[in-house]
Amino acid sequence: MIRVENVSKEYRSDHTAVHALRGVSLELGSGEFLAVAGPSGSGKTTLLNLIGCLDVPSSGEIYIDGEAVSGRSRGELATLRRRKLGFVFQTFNLIPVLSAYENVSFALALLGVEGGELKERTLKALQEVGLSGLEKRKPGELSGGQQQRVAIARALVKAPQIVLADEPTANLDSDTGREILELMAALNRSHGTTFVFSTHDAMVMDFSRRLVLLHDGAVTSDQRRAP
Amino acid sequence: MKFLFALAWKNLSRYSRRTLITAGALAVGVAVFIWMDGWLLGAERESERNIIWYEAGSAKVMNRQYLEEIQTIPLKQVISDPAAVERALEGSDAAATRRVVFSAELFVGLEDGSGEGSLFVKGVGLDPETDGRVFRLAETVREGRFLRGGEPELLLGDWLARDLSAAVGNWVTVRARSRYGAFQTLDLEVVGILNCPNPLINQGMIFLPLDLADEALEMEGAVSEIALSFPEWQNPTGRLAEIRRSLVGFPELAVADWRELASDFLAINQGKRAGNGILLLLIFIIAAVGISNTMLMAVYERVREIGMMRALGMRDLSIRLAFLLEAGGIGLIGSGVGLALGAGLNWYMVRWGLDLGAIVGDMQIGYRVHSVFRSAWHPQALVGALVFGVLASMAISFIPSSRALKLEITDCLRHV
Repeated sequence: MIRVENVSKEYRSDHTAVHALRGVSLELGSGEFLAVAGPSGSGKTTLLNLIGCLDVPSSGEIYIDGEAVSGRSRGELATLRRRKLGFVFQTFNLIPVLSAYENVSFALALLGVEGGELKERTLKALQEVGLSGLEKRKPGELSGGQQQRVAIARALVKAPQIVLADEPTANLDSDTGREILELMAALNRSHGTTFVFSTHDAMVMDFSRRLVLLHDGAVTSDQRRAP
Repeated sequence: MKFLFALAWKNLSRYSRRTLITAGALAVGVAVFIWMDGWLLGAERESERNIIWYEAGSAKVMNRQYLEEIQTIPLKQVISDPAAVERALEGSDAAATRRVVFSAELFVGLEDGSGEGSLFVKGVGLDPETDGRVFRLAETVREGRFLRGGEPELLLGDWLARDLSAAVGNWVTVRARSRYGAFQTLDLEVVGILNCPNPLINQGMIFLPLDLADEALEMEGAVSEIALSFPEWQNPTGRLAEIRRSLVGFPELAVADWRELASDFLAINQGKRAGNGILLLLIFIIAAVGISNTMLMAVYERVREIGMMRALGMRDLSIRLAFLLEAGGIGLIGSGVGLALGAGLNWYMVRWGLDLGAIVGDMQIGYRVHSVFRSAWHPQALVGALVFGVLASMAISFIPSSRALKLEITDCLRHV
């Protein structure tokens, strides 16, 4: 489904160059529940950004459904993200003036879904993340865990091939973080959606069925684990 | 699109105080624009009317040289045979009246010694029988009566009468040079005080019967001008051409329409409109700075949100449109309130006007408005101000939203 082939990413500032990723290669199949782990600065977020088409590699290539990503225009990349990718952010990134329902339906509206279908799919997504009855609440009226559930519903409502989550539990206490991980794992099983998340939290790593370790921008370990 | 409208509308309430302050600044700008525009238009229209009704008629026939030297009011450049000119004009269907215009010094020495003085004035000898065909001076007699032919009598503007402490029944002395340069002195009874909407009439003009002026100034039947009235005064080109054809046998004569005769007013009006345009530009710059600042803050505070929307696949065009709609919303609120305020002010100014008599006094400000300035309705300005307010607000938001869209998505998402 997604193939990362010998990808490097270099950031330049003034006269110094920082190698965020060095020749990373990975293959992500359908239905995976994968954690990218490593210490700060190891390149976790950079790798997720590249897989999510939010950034472009300095060298190497990323293939999504067999098609190379590089060379595509901003508009084409936006279309690709809109149709195939879902995102969950560490800081939730919900729109504060919109209700939970509106935040989730936003992702469907971008795809041109409207009317009864939009309502039905939005309510179902909110139900799946356990937020039935809280549809009208705005992010400021929800707890951190509830906000992250809204973000997960927003990512899943459009039935993407892959959901990329950058440190999804970092802003949550451990109990809430565990609940969120259990939710994501359950959704992964029920929907077959691939989840890729970055973390440096051991508890999060324990939930993954595949653990990719990064160090100084290079993959040091890629282990499949028992669920 | 529906979602973008909903998002823009909800974002307006996000920083309600900032939105209200910005919309308020725009509202003041729009209201002042509507008020000033209506006021200027009202003064312009009233001035035009007062020039035509009391000063210039629709047009005047006069000696070509007289027209060139009209500021000095030369008595030597005349229409020698006004009857022949009037006959030639008969086919043109324009009402006509004769006038003799001259410079004079007016002396007042009241019998009871309560006041005396003199002033240089513009004298007009008019035909009481035909003057009403072209001018409406007779309707402005505030006290006393209008002129009758053959009597040694005079009409004064009320400001002039007040300055000289003259009243109906007083005798005044008028000194003027005749057509051949001889000084003539006339003792005339004030039979009427005029309260004319045209301040030039009130400030410095006297009126006496044409036959009396003819005799005293040795005009021998000649006149300074034949004033004309016709309905097409707003677009007189065709009528003027017709009149000029009628006067082809009088090569020494020229025809000037009211615009040419009141060119001082038109020049001043144009200058004031340009000045007002600059003032309005400044007002809109202030409003534009407010909107620009508000939108810049809104964009800056939402960089991460913009990053999220782009990450989810929202197109740059849609994000820009969301900000344009938000700015347009501020523009709509500001312009709408400004429109209501401006229309309210304009309604007051149309209905009651503003009496600037105490401020303007005897000053000549170019406009032929007596003291109460009334506005006029200008529907194009009302609609234009609203549309401009909305479109300008949207255009101004283009720059801040462009700045945010230039950032990489990853930089947006990292933004604190």
